[in-house]
Amino acid sequence: MPEATTLRTLSDPGHAGPASRLSRLAPVHWLALIFLVAALGFAAVAWATGNGFYLRLATEALIFAGLAMSVDLLLGYTGLLSLGQALYFGLGAYVSALVLRDVAPSFWLAMAAALLAGGMAGLIGGVIANRVKGVYFALITFGLAQVAAKTVYNTRALGASDGLIGIPQIRVGFGPVSLDTADPLSFFLLVLGLTVTAYAGLSYLMDAPFGRTLAAIRANEKRVPFLGFNAWRYKLAVYVLAACVAALAGALYPMLRGFVSPELMFFETSGNAVITVIVGGVGTLVGPVMGSLLLTALRSVVGSWTEHHLIVVGVIFMLSVIFLRKGLVGALLARLSRRGEAGRTAP
Amino acid sequence: MSKNAFPRSVHALSPLLALLMASGAAPGAAQAADPIRIGVVTPLSGTYAPIGQQVRWGLELATKEVNAAGGVMGRQIELLFEDEEANPAVATQKAEKLFQVNKVDFLTGTVNSGSTLAVGQLAERNGRLIATTVSFSDAITTDKCSPNVFRVNARAGQQSAALAEWLAKDKPKAKVYYLGPDYEMGRSTVAAFKSAAEKTGAQSTGEVFAPLGSKDYSQYFGQLRAARPSVLYTSTAGNDTVRLLTQMSEYGLLRNLTIVGASGTVTAQNIGAIGKAADGFVTGVGYSAELATPENQAFVAAFRKEYNTAPDLYGADSYGLIGFFKAAVEKAGGTDTDTLRKAMEGLSWTTPQGSKTMRAGDHQAIQDMYAVRIASDGTSNRFDVVGTVPGDAAIGPDLCTRF
Repeated sequence: MPEATTLRTLSDPGHAGPASRLSRLAPVHWLALIFLVAALGFAAVAWATGNGFYLRLATEALIFAGLAMSVDLLLGYTGLLSLGQALYFGLGAYVSALVLRDVAPSFWLAMAAALLAGGMAGLIGGVIANRVKGVYFALITFGLAQVAAKTVYNTRALGASDGLIGIPQIRVGFGPVSLDTADPLSFFLLVLGLTVTAYAGLSYLMDAPFGRTLAAIRANEKRVPFLGFNAWRYKLAVYVLAACVAALAGALYPMLRGFVSPELMFFETSGNAVITVIVGGVGTLVGPVMGSLLLTALRSVVGSWTEHHLIVVGVIFMLSVIFLRKGLVGALLARLSRRGEAGRTAP
Repeated sequence: MSKNAFPRSVHALSPLLALLMASGAAPGAAQAADPIRIGVVTPLSGTYAPIGQQVRWGLELATKEVNAAGGVMGRQIELLFEDEEANPAVATQKAEKLFQVNKVDFLTGTVNSGSTLAVGQLAERNGRLIATTVSFSDAITTDKCSPNVFRVNARAGQQSAALAEWLAKDKPKAKVYYLGPDYEMGRSTVAAFKSAAEKTGAQSTGEVFAPLGSKDYSQYFGQLRAARPSVLYTSTAGNDTVRLLTQMSEYGLLRNLTIVGASGTVTAQNIGAIGKAADGFVTGVGYSAELATPENQAFVAAFRKEYNTAPDLYGADSYGLIGFFKAAVEKAGGTDTDTLRKAMEGLSWTTPQGSKTMRAGDHQAIQDMYAVRIASDGTSNRFDVVGTVPGDAAIGPDLCTRF
């Protein structure tokens, strides 16, 4: 497990100053746009060839990308390593599952309930975890998630170790039109739309004064009060925000798979999210999305080929920490900007 | 910083991947000579890998034998393995791949009950059938039963019923004390055995639950001695059993006390560490490699020859599944889901464990259960069969209401 201090140094260079802001940030958004076009192209190909499985696998990758984005908010923008983000993901999944199964098969109600639960739990967890810094923050978040996971694991009303099955497939209404979560293409497009919305909203927020203050906290927390800001409040706010993002992503899981199980809250889920962020690119938001798609595809392909697939993922993680210190997106951006410079200098 | 480890083509990564993924499917119309594909989603890595290994060996040995004898209706059986990591979230994803991409005709292998339930639901949504050969949670064939899920192994209720039956015969009116691990499964296992034992005349003298992974069990020994039981029931597992039994042995508590327990309490994995303290432990289980039937002896000999180790419960149940599947396909005349389900319901078939019958009402196999006593001198161990409980006596009522 890498230490929080080393991870902090991996974050992106995109906040050097207002002058370089536009030229540095634009390529990230270009990358996101290329990704979106590629995703739509993939959807078209998969739909045309009738490959429901790959659409649903990609949907799952996007759902876990939501969790990874929430880790990135903390790790990449604020410099806080959360090893327990699966707590909020699992909470969203369980709340959504219970609402869909026992209250009403309504997409919007499930999402609202998950958001509310995620926000409340994030507030409580944030107050506890933000009492400490660095590696202790990581340990507290880890501990909180373990406590929650064990509680669910031993609560019979929540299905205990067996989890909950029988979550219905639902129709999602947008005014006059509606789509079916059982249809792989519709649900993929819905989740893709939500991911893009989350990316756009969070990128905007990270560019706004709120995000600048987070960057200041990441750079040097002790100096932030001298600028007239209360660092603790900002850290709590971003923690709650990340919890909400994770809970919303989690709420989509039972709609896709029809069940929830305590494994969704286990450290494996939290740890995978951190790996996804680091492989994809810390502090870029689009990196976690690409990382999630890459790792999900790899796990599925390599997993069918050998049972030693965890070694493959581990080696990729180590290689990307050593050679791609800014992740997949960092490497792509370096390439894009070099090409841009070359274009400018050449006549 | 690196010299850009990625080639230029990385820009095209996502669409390329998409194309790769989309072209991976192999649509194949089933012809008579095509192999019958059985998907196996089982833990091949992690804590449950030893169980997955037995499942794999049992299935592979049976498949090899069936294929060598001409296959099923002239078609060979092909097994496709996927690692589920004992995680339902992984298991459903892998099972979906086997159903939709590899177009398997049947699926098995799930170990933990959560995976079996989640994959069972997936099978319903994909219109296919699955069977578990390992999961013993009662829920799978009672309140969470599914028309698409079959269980060929004995469930927890059958195991405790068999043990209680043996207890009533061998030690009538026993005074029983219960010691379980303090988590949901540990408590429910104790509760199930307690009610079964009380029904057959045993007397409960007390119960205590120790945290999972307890290092020191001596703190419970005072209560245990004060209750003066003649029998101790425990549902600990793995290293907890090692510590419990060796500490009891050090305190001299094993004298004049019969220890009985759940089938997972003492296994091939931890018996070496328990050593002589395991001697005399009795459990109710659906299989022992020491069963004296000719079918079992042939099976054990073939298994040893192939894998150089003895089969355990999971290996035997998985081996028997292929016989079940073969008989059902031959009866149905194909692998169509609805006719295959009909053929499986009420089917009787032969296994190394004796004859099994698939109950139509809840898709739970009925089989003879065995009380098995461990004979250990510290270096070598035998699982002796000390009692047989007929299948009808151990099966319990059909509690499935969905079909």
